[in-house]
Amino acid sequence: MSKTIEIVVTPTGQTQVQTKGFTGTECRQASQFIEQALGQRTSEQLTAEFHQQASQQQSNQQHQ
Amino acid sequence: MSHIVEIKTEVRDEVAIGSACQRLKLDPPTRGTVKLFSSEATGVIVNLPGWRYPTVFDTRSGEARFDTYNGHWGKQAQLDRFLQAYGVEKTKLEARKKGHTVTEQSLADGSIKLTVSVGGAA
Repeated sequence: MSKTIEIVVTPTGQTQVQTKGFTGTECRQASQFIEQALGQRTSEQLTAEFHQQASQQQSNQQHQ
Repeated sequence: MSHIVEIKTEVRDEVAIGSACQRLKLDPPTRGTVKLFSSEATGVIVNLPGWRYPTVFDTRSGEARFDTYNGHWGKQAQLDRFLQAYGVEKTKLEARKKGHTVTEQSLADGSIKLTVSVGGAA
């Protein structure tokens, strides 16, 4: 999956930044430069992709 | 891992302000001090369509100063439109600085979606 950062700027100028295709905490680092440049964070939400990967990592650790 | 972050836009970049003005076909911004109805404001000055007084952006705080007398001297929609243009231009500027490719798409609700391909050519 290609790595992309999607930024939606609403008609009132609010922005939503979403990362796609990153692994681990890479996504936070990848979009940090845009988030800091645009303004103040008002919320952060981890997506299903994050939770799926986190549970896979946990199950891999249990089997080792 | 993926995440979604909501951001309140702060107008701090004079170059992006200039690009936003160009995008909306407004006069180029100037820097200085202007009189509003009962006060003065210093910063980057933008004249929005139909507004009696200019909007002044303090690029250190990211805040805008203006006087529209509750919409009688200028419509909020014009400032919103400017903030959207600023957000788009600032994102493109920062992505290109990093060497990423950016594509732009207008959405049905009036939003603008930018897709930054990380690692792509500028």
